[in-house]
Amino acid sequence: MKQQLLLVFLFVLSAIAAHTQTITGTITSAEDGSVLPGVSVVVKGTRNGTTTNQNGSFELADAQGATLVCAFLSYETQEVVVGNQLVINIVLQPSAGLLKDVVIVAYGTVKKSDLTGSISSISSEDLSRTAPVSLDQALQGRAAGVQVTQVSGRPGGQTSIRIRGSSSINAGNEPLYVIDGMLITSDNGETNAGGTAGAGLNGLSAINPGDIERIEILKDASATALYGSRGSNGVVLITTKRGKAGRSSVTLDTYYGVQQVSKQLNMLNGETFANFMNNYSKDSGLPLDARYLIPEKIGEGTDWQKAIFRQAPMQSYQISVLGGSENSQYSVSGGYYKQEGVILNSDFDRFSIRTNLDQKVNNWLKIGSSISLSKIQSRGVLTGAQSAGTGTLLPGATSSALLFPPTLPVLDPAEKGGYTLKDDRGRNIGNPVADALETDNISNVSRAIANVYGILTLAKGLNFKASAGIDGFSVKDNRFVPNYLQRSLPNNGDAVVATVDGQSWLTEFTLNYNKKIGTRHAFDALAGNTYQGFHSERVFAFALDFPDNRTGWHSLGSALNPQPAGTGESNWGIISYLGRLNYGFDNRILVTLTGRVDGASKFGKNNKYGFFPSGSIAWKLHEEDFIKKLGWFYTLKTRLSYGTIGNQDIFPYASLATVGAVGQGTFNNGEAYIGQEPLRYPNPALKWERTNQFDFGIDAEFAKGRLGATFDIYQKQTSDLLLFTPLPTTTGFSGALFNIGSLRNRGLELALNSNNLSGALSWQTDLNFSINRNEITALSSGADIFIPGVLTVPSGWSILRVGESIGTFHGLVSDGIFQTDEEAMSSPHLKAQKPKAGDRKYKDLNSRDAQGKLTGQPDGVIDEADRTIIGHANPDFTWGLTNKFTWKGIDLSVFIQGVQGNQIVNAYLFEIGSLNSETNVLQEFYDNRWTPENPNNKYPKINPSERNTFSDAQVEDGSFVRLKNITLGYTLPKKVLKRTKLERLRIYGSINNVKTFTNYRGYDPEVNAFGQSSLLQGIDYGGYPLSTSIIGGIQIGF
Amino acid sequence: MQKIHIRYYIACFLVLIGILACKNLLEEDPKDQVFVDNFFETENDATAAVNSIYSILNATSNAPSFGGVYFSTYWLATGLCSDEMENRLPVTDLDQLDEFSHRPVNGALYEFWSLAYKGINNANFAVQGIPNVQAAESFKNGRIGEARYLRGMLYFDLVRWFGDIPLVLTLDGVATPSRNSKTEVFAQIISDLEFAAQNLPESYPAGNGLGRATKGSATGLLAKVYLTQGEWQKCVDQCNTIINSGKYGLYDDYADAFRIPNENGKETIFGVGFGTANNSISFWEAGQFNVRLLPKQLTGQIPGVNAQGWQVATQNLYDSYDPQDRRREVTLLTTIKNQDGSTTTVEPHFQKYWDKVNEPLAGNTDHDFPYMRYADILLMKAEALNELNNGPNAEAYLAVNQVRKRARFNGTATLNILPDLQGLDYSAFKNALLLERRHEFAAEGHRWFDLVRFRQLEALVPLAKPSVQPQPFHYLFPIPQGEIDLNPNLLPQNTGY
Repeated sequence: MKQQLLLVFLFVLSAIAAHTQTITGTITSAEDGSVLPGVSVVVKGTRNGTTTNQNGSFELADAQGATLVCAFLSYETQEVVVGNQLVINIVLQPSAGLLKDVVIVAYGTVKKSDLTGSISSISSEDLSRTAPVSLDQALQGRAAGVQVTQVSGRPGGQTSIRIRGSSSINAGNEPLYVIDGMLITSDNGETNAGGTAGAGLNGLSAINPGDIERIEILKDASATALYGSRGSNGVVLITTKRGKAGRSSVTLDTYYGVQQVSKQLNMLNGETFANFMNNYSKDSGLPLDARYLIPEKIGEGTDWQKAIFRQAPMQSYQISVLGGSENSQYSVSGGYYKQEGVILNSDFDRFSIRTNLDQKVNNWLKIGSSISLSKIQSRGVLTGAQSAGTGTLLPGATSSALLFPPTLPVLDPAEKGGYTLKDDRGRNIGNPVADALETDNISNVSRAIANVYGILTLAKGLNFKASAGIDGFSVKDNRFVPNYLQRSLPNNGDAVVATVDGQSWLTEFTLNYNKKIGTRHAFDALAGNTYQGFHSERVFAFALDFPDNRTGWHSLGSALNPQPAGTGESNWGIISYLGRLNYGFDNRILVTLTGRVDGASKFGKNNKYGFFPSGSIAWKLHEEDFIKKLGWFYTLKTRLSYGTIGNQDIFPYASLATVGAVGQGTFNNGEAYIGQEPLRYPNPALKWERTNQFDFGIDAEFAKGRLGATFDIYQKQTSDLLLFTPLPTTTGFSGALFNIGSLRNRGLELALNSNNLSGALSWQTDLNFSINRNEITALSSGADIFIPGVLTVPSGWSILRVGESIGTFHGLVSDGIFQTDEEAMSSPHLKAQKPKAGDRKYKDLNSRDAQGKLTGQPDGVIDEADRTIIGHANPDFTWGLTNKFTWKGIDLSVFIQGVQGNQIVNAYLFEIGSLNSETNVLQEFYDNRWTPENPNNKYPKINPSERNTFSDAQVEDGSFVRLKNITLGYTLPKKVLKRTKLERLRIYGSINNVKTFTNYRGYDPEVNAFGQSSLLQGIDYGGYPLSTSIIGGIQIGF
Repeated sequence: MQKIHIRYYIACFLVLIGILACKNLLEEDPKDQVFVDNFFETENDATAAVNSIYSILNATSNAPSFGGVYFSTYWLATGLCSDEMENRLPVTDLDQLDEFSHRPVNGALYEFWSLAYKGINNANFAVQGIPNVQAAESFKNGRIGEARYLRGMLYFDLVRWFGDIPLVLTLDGVATPSRNSKTEVFAQIISDLEFAAQNLPESYPAGNGLGRATKGSATGLLAKVYLTQGEWQKCVDQCNTIINSGKYGLYDDYADAFRIPNENGKETIFGVGFGTANNSISFWEAGQFNVRLLPKQLTGQIPGVNAQGWQVATQNLYDSYDPQDRRREVTLLTTIKNQDGSTTTVEPHFQKYWDKVNEPLAGNTDHDFPYMRYADILLMKAEALNELNNGPNAEAYLAVNQVRKRARFNGTATLNILPDLQGLDYSAFKNALLLERRHEFAAEGHRWFDLVRFRQLEALVPLAKPSVQPQPFHYLFPIPQGEIDLNPNLLPQNTGY
């Protein structure tokens, strides 16, 4: 009691003594010396405090002799003993790598050292380097276990992302994207209005990558299970740039670049093509064709690839303003991106704005918002083979440029449109230049992604967060093919106007509580529930027969033959309950338990709800004496996780027996008659696809943290596979979606980062390496499922077979070339074929008995039974390597990416690798063809007796090593800038897709004619080729 | 008591709003589709359900095929597996049928099987649901009659192709049914067709149902069913019902039977509509007869023509005609007039579906598939009477000679060829009938059925295709292997395969 009285007395005394003086001071940032407004300055142990003003200065009475506590967001809190100073200037240290050491996880953040799951982080610095149109492209080669394939070189074109392999066959395989907490629609099928033809637009291209601060990729069950039914393909968490207290900055970032097709295929020129035709006539015993009589006169002819490709500029402007005080932070940005495509008449144009606000209202309420709007207009070229609406199979611009005879000119004044109408080899291919230039193929996209949140502090350590968001998109496609193009000749011109409008909304409530008990036990608990709904509506209007080309799609009414309009809609909803408990023991053992209950409308009446739990444990071994003693590790942590995650990415209504329109017909002189029939075999038992994932990981740092390594080994077992399963057709249906079958992905991932040199010259190396093995472990009936033919490739080219991976190619095995007619007729050959010397030879491997079962015995005939596995679309391993150097303001980074051991079906070779006189061919195939004078075992003769046979002759190694990006930048020193108003100025130059090392014969090994499809992966035909771009840019900070 | 801070109220309020706003989130209620269970409400629903059966006869949107049951495979298989047609399209499935080397793994056979069952399921949907519709009983029975006619027709073709087959009569049956005996299947067919004959109208006005199944369609098919079963008197009775109805007859010129304006005219017992001509029901798919059957050489000669010559007539068929038989020139094409006036000779191609007046640019056609013509009624009657009386009687001669008489008319004059049949014994008359049918119905999907019914496959096919020797097991097609793989209850396979 006495002591307390004494204390009070002393305190009062000292207060009286100090009262006489007011101290003043200025607080600046150690980073750049700038003043910091809004810093809280409090006398330790009292409520006596203030904040710094706009000039970073403060005034505080009664503080002499006390200790000041200076606290500011993003800076280390500092205590300063005042002593008897009256003016005190304080320099705050930015919290060293505050962002670096925190990892964004599902519904929260966690210190990197406390992470128990498997997560890869990518910084904005790495993201922006390749000047990507969309964020998913920027992920390419950056993170272990993430395979990004740019399936189309179209500006704004699609990518396909597989995190730890394909875990589903018929349900989706793309990861879930979460932007600032909003679960967005990333399925290209949902955001595609379906009116344009050719390579589709990437749904994520509506998001400006320039706004992104960082990306986290959640890979294991522990990290993804909190997203329950949507986590099985991994989760990509995107955090956009937000304002920081005190430091306002204006940044202008702009670049300009030029792109060019990386590679052109070496096709025959006019003269050689004429020689080819003459040789063809001789071989088939026909008189020489007058058109080709004097090949020399034809000369080079038309290089159709050159004719459709061009050098194309791209440019980007981004302005961002970030800043705020301790209580309010803002980030406002606007961006404009314009890219012309390397094919004539293709481009991508995006305007986007974003506002992120955070406001601390009072000591128990914080609110904020993230709002982004973007508007895209893009012209695409028909590069695929199928035209929407009419379904006509005609090669698009890129494929026709390869197939078209070089002997024909681009223009022909005698034709209606002034262009050479079509090829003169009987294929009816349209003029690629006319196709590209004269077709309107326009997509207009508007997208708004907005969410707001409020955090209520209910008690110390107990926070309630409510958030609501909307992701709305509106897409309109306009297409017009004028009546003088070969493509629309039967229709006399056709036009499509199609729209899709969709919104997804999300409401989330979470309660978070953290508490430390004693010094050793730390708890962090989260509970919440969320609701998400989706609704979209489509209209598809289509008209044929345009006598006048001038109005095109602008006036569908001027068509003489309007077609019935189509409409469609889609709805789904998900209700979820989630919870997580983090427990840390003595900062050594960390345990995370999560669980989510998801109810989804897409599933059968009795199977709507699913529970997705996960558990993980991490052990910080470097805190243990026996590891410390070794002295090898700076940090060492092991992680172990196991959990169940789901996949609900199927079309809605799959479980319902519904009736729909079929067979639109006419009756009664034009009176429309519609039939209605049951649409599908109902499966009320339809339920979640489940993936059980096990992960073991090690995080280690050596040499005081200069060398870091992360190693993960995992197994993902997907069961209750959502598989479109064949049914006996006596049901009236050929198949239905069932939960049958299972598949497995196993793999390992390694990520290394090393600060090789620090100091004036710094050198940093990042390496990631991943192996994934995909294997189908069970199928519905155990029997192989043959994938139907696509494009030029005949049916059965790919199979689903137990023990093999998805994307297994299946065809005949070629065995060189028949050297004599006798050999050809006496050897096994295709039944309908009368083979000759110079034809391709195939191996007789198998046969079928009367019941259609394979016998394993050759039967002297080449037929479908002789097909075997001839390749895999999945690579053996993938890797990425980045080296970054800085020296006196100069920065250099070199990024190399590689994919090894996958095969590609080069579907072009059915045409340009077959000397059948209908199309132009590759020089290599012509020069090295079999002739009686030059017999060889490589390429068949002119006028082969068979074609369209799928064999290993069309399957090629798709491995590649790509020098993906080199960037060289120079940041002007502060000294120089001091005279200007500028805070930062960096100029840089960058080259993308510098050089690709591959044996693949097509444009580029990174292809997929079928976008995100897992079943139809690894097939190359008619894609939009990748380009090399050179960019120069400038970043200015005010 | 401590006062509860406003922040707690805010939190509770927000959660409450969330919960209330999200009721029914998990209910699926597609507005652009209707459920099977509550589809049938109005007359339109009944009509739409029946239309879906017609639709599958013509076209399907179910990949890989786009043609319906009677689009091509039906008349290709029954033509190739006989002495009338040869395959020129390099497709193994069709080659096999041409050469009688077809096996359980054959895409064409599987296609027919699955399309027919699709139609049967759509018919079951209609038959099951139409009673729930709010409409007059007579209307409902009319629509049910159409559905049962079409179901009977599909089952009749299936049972003749495959023998014992699963009898699927409801929508929600087992997915892997066993095979029912032919007797059971025939009983069902007769029940369906009798119901149809009682409830269908004799005809529809043009522009209001023309092309739908009629009483005559059902009666005519019943005649064929009884003929196939050897119920000779019943067959004759059904034929007489048609003949005596006065609604049907032969056109004077054989060529007129294949003119587009005459579709659903007096000679049509039932046709499957293609294209859009003539106010009769048809669904979007145009016919492929001309593209498939006309000679390739025509493509170069007439701009806009799309002819591929995928299947041709056997020389044996061509040679079997009297050179002046009107039916030879209408059915078969051997010379092409070139634009420069010269001519090109081609192997015999079928051209009976090419209406040169109404569709000068051969290609996609509005021509219907003549499932059953009046000439068939006459020839069936003659066949049944011959069997009934162990030889032809006057009525039998009268029937067959009407058909022969018409063939003498070359468009302008009646020639002195093809004399009336007379004085034949049982076998001679039977042989004459088979030849008559061959000439009358070439490429109309009859020949394999006729050769099977007359037990003449082994004897006659080698005459047209010397390297081919049909076996007794070829009197049935094999159950598609793909179907057996999914439904082992279909085993055992038909003998011989």
